[in-house]
Amino acid sequence: MSLKLGTADFAKYPFLNEASKFLTESHLDVDEFNRPEMEYIIDRATIRVEVEMQGKIYKNLERHEVEVLTFLSALMLVKLTNIEQILKKHSLFEALRAEAFLIQDLRTERDEKKKQLLLFEIFKELFKVEVDLDPENAQVFRMKVTDYLVRSSHFHEEGWKIVNKAVHGGYVYLDADEIVRLVRNELGNLIYEKIRAMSLSNVPQPIVQKANYLALKFRPTYENKLPRISDYPPCIKHALDLMSKGENLPHTARLMVATYMLSIGKNIDSIVTLFHPAPDFNEKITRYQVEHLAGLKGGQTRYNVPSCSKLNSEDLCFRTLDCGEITNPLKFRRRPD
Amino acid sequence: MNNLKNSTSDLLFVRNAFREYYFKYNDLVETPSRINEREFGFMTFQTGMMRHLSFNNIREVYATLIRNTPSDFYCSNAYYNFPANLMQDKGWKGADLIFDIDAKDLGLPCEVSHRYHLCANCGEIIESTADPCPLCKNSTVRVESIPCSNCFISLRKEIKKLIAILTDEIGVEDDNISVYFSGNSGFHLYVYDACFHHLDSRARSDLVGYILGNGIGPEVIGVRKGANDKVSIKFPKAGFRYGWSMRLARKLRIDQSSSSKLTNFINKLGGYERFSKYIIGYAKEIGIKIDPQVTIDIHRIFRHGGTLNGKSGLSKLRCVDLNKFDPLNDACLLNDTDVQVHVKPSNLKFKLRGRTFTANQKKEKLPTYAAVYLICKGLATTI
Repeated sequence: MSLKLGTADFAKYPFLNEASKFLTESHLDVDEFNRPEMEYIIDRATIRVEVEMQGKIYKNLERHEVEVLTFLSALMLVKLTNIEQILKKHSLFEALRAEAFLIQDLRTERDEKKKQLLLFEIFKELFKVEVDLDPENAQVFRMKVTDYLVRSSHFHEEGWKIVNKAVHGGYVYLDADEIVRLVRNELGNLIYEKIRAMSLSNVPQPIVQKANYLALKFRPTYENKLPRISDYPPCIKHALDLMSKGENLPHTARLMVATYMLSIGKNIDSIVTLFHPAPDFNEKITRYQVEHLAGLKGGQTRYNVPSCSKLNSEDLCFRTLDCGEITNPLKFRRRPD
Repeated sequence: MNNLKNSTSDLLFVRNAFREYYFKYNDLVETPSRINEREFGFMTFQTGMMRHLSFNNIREVYATLIRNTPSDFYCSNAYYNFPANLMQDKGWKGADLIFDIDAKDLGLPCEVSHRYHLCANCGEIIESTADPCPLCKNSTVRVESIPCSNCFISLRKEIKKLIAILTDEIGVEDDNISVYFSGNSGFHLYVYDACFHHLDSRARSDLVGYILGNGIGPEVIGVRKGANDKVSIKFPKAGFRYGWSMRLARKLRIDQSSSSKLTNFINKLGGYERFSKYIIGYAKEIGIKIDPQVTIDIHRIFRHGGTLNGKSGLSKLRCVDLNKFDPLNDACLLNDTDVQVHVKPSNLKFKLRGRTFTANQKKEKLPTYAAVYLICKGLATTI
């Protein structure tokens, strides 16, 4: 392919293999982070993580050398904090940042070949998914039905159901923002795995110091507020367990946890706190949703805990012998305090 | 096997007919692909279900069919690392995509004329479902149906609609589709395309929604709920060229320039909610009437091709040419030795192997294939 992505693209998508070639070509050694001129990069990376820990996307964009180095520094900082919640949250918000750039690029890029190259580099290279332009309309993108189903079936909103999409010849036709949203989780996972796989030794002191600062500032304060999870039914226990590790639970699992907690009499505040470790936690939205489930908002309908068979069909059931013949998690023999 | 549990002679008679079939027609029993990765199971005439069986080759399957003479024999749609282990330890590797269309789900008007109510306990014919069984006073009723030629014409149409959606929209190649007569009152459609193997239940459920038209909303054609029950319309960039948006646009006679026409139509109907109901109703009407649970279940065992259906004595057979395949003739392969039976319902009429039978609550001399058919359905007993 004669056309290549430019440095401006690497600035936005520093996780691309091509982008990291710059580091290899410039023979950058980790010791160079000790140099005074790197202070700006390390500070920038620290701010980036801080912004993300506040549940926001870091929007500042500079030239690609700065961006690639900041990205790398942020990965090291997050790795060194050794706090799972920071790792998860950073991965998610880096994915959201890239998502915003990508939507913009796919919407505004007029050169079809460039657009196709972006799609190829990001979807095919990173996620092994083929995304094409609609031959009849370059504003529309298409993805194979099976690739779409694997991803969209995890989304709760009706609009993502394939029945509400244009489908033809084995392809689902989508807008730029839809096609990008589909791979957000995978991009988050990719960054997460990149950090997990990093092996750090002889890390320069300025990075260690900033990592310690971040660890101290964002050490989970909610740990002691979490309930004793051993007393809950296995499905709830499993969900709480994942949440405590900062995993991004699907909507159905969050609904199960919230309705269960409401049913056993937990108050709204304590339920909202439960969701605190979620990487995409937003107190305002969470509170509204829990209040909605409690029948305090919207249609004033109080939602019931889904039945065991419903949970089973949603892959949320982790039945053990202790469950016996119960048909609803609420009937689990040992109710928590 | 419910319909035979009350009579040892019925059971022996049907079992012998089935055994003879497996001796004579074992070449019809299909060899599934990746046979050693499949879970098998069978239902015996007396003891019930056996699951978690595994076979290395088709000869082992033949031997089991002849040795055990099951009433029903099943093979998983799934491929496993260890098919004989319990479900949680099998190691799921993927599953064929299978659709089931049954006459009972089509809501056909003819169904009432060939439907029979039987006491679930003693098998007595019940005239009025409001009353308990006149013999044993049990009030649980079982429904049996004798599908007629009209049922099969409608089923064929529905299967063709399903094939059209799968090939034109979902992108399945014709060569990767096989249609089977289920051996009773429906058809199974198998998709062998490996692209679909890895789809989990949730993804299959969404695909089922597409086929049924379930979960559709006005958003499919760009209609969104605005403030005060008003609507905002932003037609999809992909237009109305494909899928459900195309079907709805055709129904509503709209194109990309019909925004005000559509707004007027929605307002006339009574707003967003009414329009939503209208769309849901239309989708339900024209959606393909598949059984959702069958397709969603990735651990299910299905009646195996070439084996007999214990509910009818007919074979589950692949329809090489759907237009020419006549289930009540081509799948009726038991012998034609005459046997005396007592037929339970009055005015019973059915057709098998091109021969029309009428029976009326009395002793009848019927060929074995017809006698087995009625006995399996609980509508006759041996004398």
